[in-house]
Amino acid sequence: MKLHGILLLFLYAANGFSQTAEEQVLFVKSRLDSIETFQADIKLHVDISFIKMPDKEALAVFKKGEDVVIKSEDFVLIPKRGLDLSFSELFEYPFMVVDRGEVEGQSTSLLAISILPSDNKADFSVANLHIDTQKQRITWAEINTKKDGAYTLRLTYPDSQAILPTKLDVSFEMDRIRIPLNFAGSDVSIDRKKIRAADQKTGKIRLALKYRNIEKTQ
Amino acid sequence: MRLLYIETYKLFRQSRTYYAILALFFIEAIVLLSAYYQGTGIIDIVLANLKDTFYFQGKLLNGNLIIYFILNSFWFHVPLLCMIIVSGMLTTEYQEKTLQTVFMQPVVKWKYLLAKYIVASLFTIFLVLLLALTSFILSYGIFGKGDLVVYTNGLTFFEHDDAFYRLVYAFLFGTLSLVFFSVVSLTLAVLLKESFKTWIAAALFLIVSTLLLKIDLGNEVWNQIAFFKLNNTWQYFFNHDIEWNTIIINSVLMGLYILVTMLVGLFLFQKKDIG
Repeated sequence: MKLHGILLLFLYAANGFSQTAEEQVLFVKSRLDSIETFQADIKLHVDISFIKMPDKEALAVFKKGEDVVIKSEDFVLIPKRGLDLSFSELFEYPFMVVDRGEVEGQSTSLLAISILPSDNKADFSVANLHIDTQKQRITWAEINTKKDGAYTLRLTYPDSQAILPTKLDVSFEMDRIRIPLNFAGSDVSIDRKKIRAADQKTGKIRLALKYRNIEKTQ
Repeated sequence: MRLLYIETYKLFRQSRTYYAILALFFIEAIVLLSAYYQGTGIIDIVLANLKDTFYFQGKLLNGNLIIYFILNSFWFHVPLLCMIIVSGMLTTEYQEKTLQTVFMQPVVKWKYLLAKYIVASLFTIFLVLLLALTSFILSYGIFGKGDLVVYTNGLTFFEHDDAFYRLVYAFLFGTLSLVFFSVVSLTLAVLLKESFKTWIAAALFLIVSTLLLKIDLGNEVWNQIAFFKLNNTWQYFFNHDIEWNTIIINSVLMGLYILVTMLVGLFLFQKKDIG
């Protein structure tokens, strides 16, 4: 049985795109599901036009079935979405996979798919993913949530085997900031035109991850 | 030197000097208390929009933010206190006729006033030092350390070490602005002689200066060199990139304004009759 499984894996890997989109997703899911825990030192870089913040360091602790916990002695902004590196929210409820065809990646062609939850309990309405079918991992994701708007992830991996990224860009839509004027210093000139123009902004958080340990199931 | 010593002695013999110091502590205590009870609410309002997108780890209501709040008292309260005390250094002498007694002795008028200007400036520096020391000790002691967040056309965060040195520089350069107001009040005392008139004129000068700070003069050069535009120089330390050139130019200009105001005062005092 075990040998059969290995053979099946080998055939899947060798055949690449001959698998259906759903099979590809399930294969990636099984790789992600194998991660039980990990701890990673993260460096957070905030890239939002109206926020200037020095890069921050923190510790990310992941346990399967739980949200990632971020620990830091500094003040850090942690994006509400995008830190679920196991993509568990996508696969929590039954879903459908729609094949969107191939797209060009940086060095290889990628499979574009959409995941549509078939259960109303799911937190997202649609998720578009780019899957590297040869390395069996997600390189890009755009997830439209029901409550927190849409966010995009771009994942960069250290080698061809890794399932967890070492670089992660999380982009999201956010409202402009509304500061009560009495908080601003007396001299602060409020550029109202600029503020109005910045009504909706795209923010980005860049994370560099350095894993202390990763525990996987065999 | 002897004149300086005498003026310092007279200043610290006046009860109003101690009232001013007490008032300074009182302002500081109010800022600390309001921060203690309402600070979290203020931070929540400031970060309300970000709460949709982010979780926050760590606390922003810390000593650095409180010192920044206290620094904002530079705008009005501390200069007002300085002006009241400093102008009193001369107006009381006019009222109590002690000036006439002084000038019965071989004292050069301009040197006498110059001593007052110097002591007034030193007293202002002393007040700022006292304010800085107590605010650093109390704020860090009560609220601890942490990142400083300020709003200058966007939110800027500074890590503790960075925030600390920016706050220290802000106190240092803010002192120049306070010295200017003290020197102006002494010059007004030369002109008006009476305490109440001088206080009203000094307060008016301060209010108008504060109002004019926000007014655009429509000309880059005037916006750069007008004295009331220089009073916010300390705020430049809370821009992400410190504009040292602007700060140095502003400080040199402020130094010149102080010098010119002093010279005008010395000239008028020398010309005027005492009586």
